[in-house]
Amino acid sequence: MAHKSEDLFDCILMADDRFHGEGYREGFDEGTRQGMIDGRKHGASHGAKLSMEVSFYYGFGITWKCLLQNNTDVKSRKRLKALESLLGLIQKFPHEEPHYENLQEDMEKVRAKFRQVCSLLNVPTDFSDYVKTGGSGGISF
Amino acid sequence: MWLKFNAHPDSRCWYVAWNPKGTLLASCGGDRAIRIWGKEGDSWECKTVLQDGHQRTVRKVAWSPCGNYLASASFDATTCIWKKKNDDFECLTVLEGHENEVKCVAWAPSGNLLATCSRDKSVWIWEVDEEDEYECVSVVNSHTQDVKHVVWHPTQELLASCSYDNNVCVYKEEDDDWECRATLEGHTATVWGLTFDPSGQRLASCSDDRTVKIWKECQPEEGTDAAWKCVCTLSGFHGRTVYDIAWCPLTGALATACGDDGVRVFKEDETADPDQPVFSLSAHVPKAHTQDVNCIAWHPKEAGLLVSCSDNGEIAVWNYQSEV
Repeated sequence: MAHKSEDLFDCILMADDRFHGEGYREGFDEGTRQGMIDGRKHGASHGAKLSMEVSFYYGFGITWKCLLQNNTDVKSRKRLKALESLLGLIQKFPHEEPHYENLQEDMEKVRAKFRQVCSLLNVPTDFSDYVKTGGSGGISF
Repeated sequence: MWLKFNAHPDSRCWYVAWNPKGTLLASCGGDRAIRIWGKEGDSWECKTVLQDGHQRTVRKVAWSPCGNYLASASFDATTCIWKKKNDDFECLTVLEGHENEVKCVAWAPSGNLLATCSRDKSVWIWEVDEEDEYECVSVVNSHTQDVKHVVWHPTQELLASCSYDNNVCVYKEEDDDWECRATLEGHTATVWGLTFDPSGQRLASCSDDRTVKIWKECQPEEGTDAAWKCVCTLSGFHGRTVYDIAWCPLTGALATACGDDGVRVFKEDETADPDQPVFSLSAHVPKAHTQDVNCIAWHPKEAGLLVSCSDNGEIAVWNYQSEV
């Protein structure tokens, strides 16, 4: 008898808390879902930018390597050495690992190497013309 | 005892450098010019003006160890190499690559290497070959902010740089590439200048935090890199930012250029423990100039001779006599 009346009052007294709790949980779940969506978008775009940069350097390196590899003069050999170093740094990069702790440091090393190679080849480093963001432009033939 | 003259009219004089023989003085400034001064009797006369080398302020000049070349670092993002031909200089080549203002240039004692640093946070090391061709050997991005100064070790192939990020970095060559081997933390504001002691065992740095720190290389444990420890801090002597510092190669005295318009000379206490050096203020000229003193340099041959330059465009030559 006493048990039943407690339940009855509980319903009313705890209603506030109960709704509060339910609302919180619903909001939390919704937030988590939305956060995942936003996070994925952000990660994808950031990853794409980084990849674009690294791949550019790689393609650049391979192209110049092909152009210079048949030259035997001292200057070309020095340039090839620097190019090999650039390609090596990129190949060592763990492409699949977003949590790689030295990501920033290694990217800086790659960028610095790229600038040095450009200086040796006498090529300007500004490649913003080639990198078009958001998928607009792209390559035209 | 001193002599003062106006070097860069209506603009700042940023830097002064003695040539290795001590017969010429090179100065550079906000008027985009480099001036070469020679002693005529008791005064200094301007022998040459290099006006068209740069499009913006020339921040620093450096003589090659042989004295035949002059390098100039400019806010126009280039470094110019000048070759001395009798009394004139001709521009040999222009080193490009930095993204923005080049803050400093320095020749290695061997004469084969050159270092430059910039607001783009990087330090570049260049190699010169017998045909006077300059090639970039390394680009190092160890600082997180504007790099203010680079200086070479007097005897080893070691480079040090300092920055707006409050740190000093020390670089060594490893496998044809230059890497940062040590980061010296301790200053609480921009580090503006660096100088090695005559033996190269210690490095002095000066900063926006109004102190001077002396660093010593500690013997490394097996397998680890050498570490540099701060063995002395000179604080309470400077009223404002210390912009430049120079260690006399002949006497071991330490001179500083300060934003409070003063020039100071510190002497080391001979009796102190070498691992805990003690420096005391030996001379102080409170109003050496009417504005910030940007640079201070000891004469390479004549002990006690000092030159300083200031934001007011003046160069002053000083004679320091220490009471023994």
